[in-house]
This record gives sequence, structure tokens and C-alpha cells, in this order.
Amino acid sequence: MCDHEVKTNCFEYIDSQMPPVPLELNVNGESIYELIDPAMTLLDFLRVSLKLFGTKEGCREGECGACTVIMNGRAVPSCLILAIEAQGADIITVEGLSKNGELSILQQEFIKEDGLQCGFCTPGMLMSAKALLDRNPNPTVDEVKEAIAGNLCRCTGYKSIINAILSAAKREREALSNG
Amino acid sequence: MLSKFDYYKPVSLEKATEYLNENSETKILAGGTDLLISLQKNKERCKHILDIKAIPELNRFTYTEGRGYFIGAAITVNQISEEKLLREKYPAISQGADALGSYQVRNRATMVGNICNASPGADLAAPLLVYDAKVHIASSEGIRATDLCDFFTGVKKTILKPKDLVIGISIPDVERGDRSVYLRKSRIKGADLCNVAIALRINPENKLSIALGAVSTIPMRLFELERKIAERELTPELGDWLAAEIKTYINPRRDSIRSSPEYRYLITGVLAKRGLLKLIDKEGA
Repeated sequence: MCDHEVKTNCFEYIDSQMPPVPLELNVNGESIYELIDPAMTLLDFLRVSLKLFGTKEGCREGECGACTVIMNGRAVPSCLILAIEAQGADIITVEGLSKNGELSILQQEFIKEDGLQCGFCTPGMLMSAKALLDRNPNPTVDEVKEAIAGNLCRCTGYKSIINAILSAAKREREALSNG
Repeated sequence: MLSKFDYYKPVSLEKATEYLNENSETKILAGGTDLLISLQKNKERCKHILDIKAIPELNRFTYTEGRGYFIGAAITVNQISEEKLLREKYPAISQGADALGSYQVRNRATMVGNICNASPGADLAAPLLVYDAKVHIASSEGIRATDLCDFFTGVKKTILKPKDLVIGISIPDVERGDRSVYLRKSRIKGADLCNVAIALRINPENKLSIALGAVSTIPMRLFELERKIAERELTPELGDWLAAEIKTYINPRRDSIRSSPEYRYLITGVLAKRGLLKLIDKEGA
């Protein structure tokens, strides 16, 4: 919702025409150096500049979690971060989950447990879940719920998503103990 | 976003206050979870963004025996949630931190930002109020401290002047036996703003402190009610009296989208009684 007096579309990225500033960061293991608009959000930088369309734009107010990425190991809403704030940061987006064309265990479990229907919330769900499993390899149901409380899903229902995260946690622990 | 701004991230407090002095229409950026929403919705405009996250003083998060905690303006809500000693000594503050927004938002949002945004329902306000927190403010004229209970002046309004920069919040040390609780009522479990928030604290001398959020234009400490309680004995029976009495101290607004005033009056009483019973239960534990 825009301010009633200002009818400009809030959701469309418009270059502010301010002098560009240099941004250096790492996205999915790749070093990136670009001159960017200082008024650009990290979400716009990922989608508009890097053409990484996996990260979704939902509410642009930190409510829906569709734009969640992992920044320096923590799940964050990329719509509420200026791209320039990510100076020197390590960013992981949903595009960074699969390795050599093979889906990660977490992604595989989402498919197996029917953890998605339309798929719009899925990238955000995956990133919140990955951040959780990275810091807590053996989460309880309540811990999973807390980790994805900021990710809204309107069609799948959360149960299958929670099941997917729990079974991915189990598989990841097994993979680790089997070396 | 219609704002056209440049971005400055100083590494010293002097540079930051100097910048604020020289540049009007500057917005201070810490977590950005409130600022970037209002900028992107064009509710606020600015010409400069001052990112304060690289200033060493603002990244201080320390506990000193006898003096308590200092929590810098760049410290995120999740950093507070994860601090074990703070949870042991100031449970209401940790519970307020746990309740704020969603996990992702808490990874960015800061405690000081929550206070400076001055929402009547700010989750960290009531817990900090019962601990007599102080706000430390820097400007080109020097550093001053003010009690948090004198900080809020209205909905989203504080005593801060445009050239002020909050460097952090200090919370006095507590003694063994001090206990507190933060309770809130929201429409849904998970991430939601609260309809009513209450923090209660009983110190080792059995003095009860109470602060409320989301039931008036500002988060408020109920000093007068506390004085009345001090004349009584802290027993479970006091709960019913408190539930009725506390309603005379609040002023919930009629046009809220989250709940009616009647509901807020009722729930404030319920939470006050529940909180008191919880704290009395913990006595000696």
C-alpha cells in the first residue's frame, strides 16, 4: 500500500539517479563488484542487477518472508536492507543451495514432503530453514515454527513444510555421522 | 521509493554527530526494519542516510558487576535474545526480545531502534521501563543521559532532537532474587504486533514495578499504581484487585484495527493478574 497522496508504485524499482557507489560482496560464493544506486535495496540488487529471480518480492515490509536471504550466516529480510549495507557481506540466496546441479537435502525434502504448491514462499522458507539447520542441526518442532514464523505461506499449509525441515535435519545429521 | 539519498557510514562517534550537525534531512539507519518501510512507502523522505553500525561505541554490549548492562545502538534484538546472562538477570527484557517481529526481522532490528521508533506497542519498552533503563544520547554538544520513562512524548514521538544520536541504553544491575516477566497478547501466535503488553518486576525488597505497552499513546511505567501496591501485601489475592485497578491507568484508542478498547481493558487486567501470580510463584526459586 502506498501513501494515498503519493501514487507512485512503491514496488517498482526506480533508479534514484544519485551518484553510484561501489559495492563489493560475495553472492553464492561469487565475488561481485558493481557500482550501484545508494537507494537500492538488497532485494532489488539481487533481482534487478544480478537477475537472481529466486528471491521473491512479497510485501516489502518484512512481514511475509518471501525475500529472506542469508547474510553473514543469518536469515534476513532483503527488502529492508540497503544493498550498500551488504558491503563485504556473504550472501546466500536460494540459487546457492544446489551444488553441481544437485538439489540440497533440504530442497529434496521439500519436494518429498510436498512442502510447496505455488512455490512463491519456498525460496524464503528454504533460506530461513537453512539458517536454522546451520545453527541448530537438531531443532524441535517449536524451534522450526519459530524460525519460519516470519515466512507466510498461503497455499501449502505449514505442516508439510515443517515435516520437510525436520526430515532434512535428520538426513543431514545422518549424512554428517556417516562422514 | 521517492527519496533520493546518499549514504554515509562513519567509523567514529564524532564524525557521526558532526555529520548530523551539518546535514539536515538525515535519517539514522541502524537495523532499518522501520526506516526502510517508511522510506519505501514514501511516508518519510530524507536526503541523507547515516548508517551508525560501524561506530565502535554503538557496538558495545557489556555487563559490569554493580553497574549492569550497556547495550549499544547497533546491537540487534537477536543478539539480546541470545545473551544468556541477560536472560538470567533480566528475564522480561529477553522475553520482550523474543516476542519482537519475526526471527529474520530480529536479526536486523535493534533494541535502540525499537525504542527510538517509539511505537506505543514497542516490545522492548515495557521491559526496559521496569528496570529503570537510561537512554544515552550524543550530539555535537556532548553526551547526556535521560530516564527512559521521560523519553517518550507521543505516538512515534520522543524527546530526541534532529541532531541527536542515541548511542545506547544502560540498565542498572539487579540483585539476586530480582525477578520479572513480560506478557503480551496478540491476535495470532508467531509474528504479530501486540494488543496489550505488560512487564512486571519484583525486586528482592518485594517492590513491584509495572509497565504497559500498546494501551496508551506511549509505553508507560505506572509509578502511581506501584505506590498503591507498596501499601499492600504481595499475595495471590492481590491479583484481582490489581486486575481491576490497573484499568484506570490506561487509555486504549478507539480506532485501533487490532482490538477494541473494551478488549484491551479486559486483557490488561488479565495479564496483570497472570503476571503477578507468576512472579509470586517464583519466589525463592
